[in-house]
Amino acid sequence: MRKLMFYVPLVLFLTLALFLLSGLFSNPMERESVTTNKPLPAFSLPDLMQPAQRWQPEQLRGETFLLNVWGTWCPTCNAELSYMTELKQQGVKIIGLYYVLPVDPLLGESFDLTMLQADVSNKLQQRGNPYQFNILDADRSLSLDLGVSGAPETFIVDSNGIVREHHIGDINPQVWRNKLAPLYQKWRQQDGSQ
Amino acid sequence: MIAEYGQLALTFALALSVLLAIVPFYGSFSGNQRALLQAKPLAIGLFIFCLLAKLALVHAFLTSDFTVINVATNSSSILPWYYKITASFGSHEGSMLLWILMLSGWTALVAIFSKGLPLLMQGRILGVLGLINIGFIAFSLFMSNPFARSLPFYPVEGMDLNPLLQDFGMIIHPPLLYMGYVGFAVSFAFAIAALIGGKFDSTWARWARPWTLAAWLFLTLGIMFGSWWAYHELGWGGWWFWDPVENASFLPWLVGTALLHSLAVTEKRGTFKSWTVLLALGAFSLSLVGAFLVRSGVLVSVHSFAADPDRGIFLLIFLLLVIGGSLALYASRMNSVRSQARYQLFSREVMLWGNNVFLLTATLVVFLGTLFPLFHKELGLGTISIGEPFFNQMFYYLTIPFALLLGLGPWVRWKQQPVKPLLGPFSLIALASLTLALGTLAAMQSIQANLALLGLLLGAWVGLSALYELYQRLSQFGSVSKGAFKLHASHYGMTIAHIGFAVLVVGVAMTKTYSVERDVRMQINDSISLAGYQFTLLEVYPLQGANFGGEAAEIAVHNSKGQLISQLHAEKRFYQIQRTVMTESAVHARLSRDLYVSLGEALPDNAWALRLYVKPFVRWIWLGGLLMALGALVALLDKRYRRGSSRLTAANKSEAINA
Repeated sequence: MRKLMFYVPLVLFLTLALFLLSGLFSNPMERESVTTNKPLPAFSLPDLMQPAQRWQPEQLRGETFLLNVWGTWCPTCNAELSYMTELKQQGVKIIGLYYVLPVDPLLGESFDLTMLQADVSNKLQQRGNPYQFNILDADRSLSLDLGVSGAPETFIVDSNGIVREHHIGDINPQVWRNKLAPLYQKWRQQDGSQ
Repeated sequence: MIAEYGQLALTFALALSVLLAIVPFYGSFSGNQRALLQAKPLAIGLFIFCLLAKLALVHAFLTSDFTVINVATNSSSILPWYYKITASFGSHEGSMLLWILMLSGWTALVAIFSKGLPLLMQGRILGVLGLINIGFIAFSLFMSNPFARSLPFYPVEGMDLNPLLQDFGMIIHPPLLYMGYVGFAVSFAFAIAALIGGKFDSTWARWARPWTLAAWLFLTLGIMFGSWWAYHELGWGGWWFWDPVENASFLPWLVGTALLHSLAVTEKRGTFKSWTVLLALGAFSLSLVGAFLVRSGVLVSVHSFAADPDRGIFLLIFLLLVIGGSLALYASRMNSVRSQARYQLFSREVMLWGNNVFLLTATLVVFLGTLFPLFHKELGLGTISIGEPFFNQMFYYLTIPFALLLGLGPWVRWKQQPVKPLLGPFSLIALASLTLALGTLAAMQSIQANLALLGLLLGAWVGLSALYELYQRLSQFGSVSKGAFKLHASHYGMTIAHIGFAVLVVGVAMTKTYSVERDVRMQINDSISLAGYQFTLLEVYPLQGANFGGEAAEIAVHNSKGQLISQLHAEKRFYQIQRTVMTESAVHARLSRDLYVSLGEALPDNAWALRLYVKPFVRWIWLGGLLMALGALVALLDKRYRRGSSRLTAANKSEAINA
């Protein structure tokens, strides 16, 4: 018995090594989304360009689409605009969820919709406009419910309004080809059957 | 051409390390004296070639040779020369070479300073170090060559050094830290040599002690400088973040501290034998696991080098050979060892046992906190993260009993200690601690039962007890002045290090309790008062550095009486090549408090965002760490470590009489 005690450190180390080995082959940055395979959270948010128009999840049903969380303040989001515009031309339906940065009244900042609209149309003119329309998430409530941790992030939402994929990071040709396109096609094909 | 010479030198170093791993071991098993004698020249030669390789890399950086990929990605022609040297160990490849240089340096030092060791032991120790050298040099050469060229297509300008690393703290932090990590390889080699020899008398512990102390000294300094660097460079006033990489350096430190104490028991009393060997194996094993975690990309951390599974596999195999091999050797050899010594429940042995229990519990807490997210995920339970609150809470609970025990420990004698004689001194110390703690809070006009009170109590308890014990010990020589020269340096070292711990505890508790911070918007000549200090923004002007632009702000600070305390100079730098913004916070440091300002974004209407902090006693945190390191240094100066082994026993005897 006493002899076996001295093998305990070795056994513990070997167990640790097993974990480290499997850890090598998984990505620590990967986070599972809390929203995947669940319906879009309930919301009623204004359109960025026509605030009188309000969007609710029911209105987004019927066709698989990409929900892209972005903001003009985010350089990576701006960078992916042009590639996503190409995707739009290939027939991919993309809806923007505009993430408004928090404003600090202490620092004399205030939320100015007119300035924001000008800023956005300016940016979309420069880089290309991939969006059908943009939903304005002024108090970031929908982003919060969706588990957004930073922009850009993109969700694939199927025709029943169920979130099927949560992609963190930008969309570039490689990511689209290897990861998102197969998923998008898969859910797209099921659109008609329901 | 110089870079190729560097690679050649590293190749020679690999060959020498292979020889160092084979020849002395052959000598030790065949009894061939000549083979054993080769160990020393081989070790020194190994160091010389590693040094040549390192110099070649530094040369490539200083001459901005952008055909070398490592230089092109981590340096630029406009980088100041001293940061070019820093850049030579700022990347994964370069830091690996620094690691190798340190390892071969320790190997050479062991070869030079081990005259007192039996030849057989010397050969085995150097042989083990040779084996470890092989692993790292091969890793550098085959998996992460720092001399790789990108010919014929090379950039005309480099990508510059990460601005975060362009700081004085970064010049000294990595070398100190690596000296510590790698230094535990020496303790490890001593333990393995003892395992191979099968003799666990107190001699191996006596030989291993100074080397362990030296490694611990460097690791302590390395961690302290890292903390200080983060504090003044990251611009948010934090000094420890429980980041996986910080934890990776903290783990070997904790085990190394336990090892130092356990070695004392093994040396002086010939007990805790198998335990001490395991700690010696553990300290270096955790250094290796830390290196693996940082370089394999298994954990997410701000410090990580770029992840590469191939490197991870190489390191993991190396880990399996070194750690797995040593633990297997341990298991097969150790079951024959039995400790003979007897001791009572209230004795120094049990006190030091308690020290080990707490330090290893702390190790376990940090280890699990760091790796639990990985375990959780790999078991298919999903992703989680463990943050500061967990560690802070656990350390809160661990520090209280640990500090109480630390105040008691040095008073307690080996074998058995009668309780009665200690009652007097300890009621005195307890009373004095209470007075000191409450007095300090009264002076700050804030008497309440909070973390600060607890920290002050524990700090005073440990500090006063250490001082009183020193006084008591000195008086035993007749008078304090007589005793001052007779007492061994290692005893002074212990006292200083324990006071260092007390200072650290006070610093942490006071900073955590009384720090105040404010994010403010300021225009020129605006004034804001915080914790009795008046901060006035005097001017903001453009900044022009060698490889950066940006803005600098001058902030005057007055005290409540309106006297000027200091004019602070905070910068917001924009590094042109890497296109990153860095804050250079301005700090006015005093023992009692730091005033800390960092400059934020420019806001509309000629205003700026600023972040102001007043952090009481934050200096004490690093002062405590420095005192601990100083304690190790003083202990290293103990003459007994440098005498031959025969006279050392005599010294032990005389000490036993004194004690």
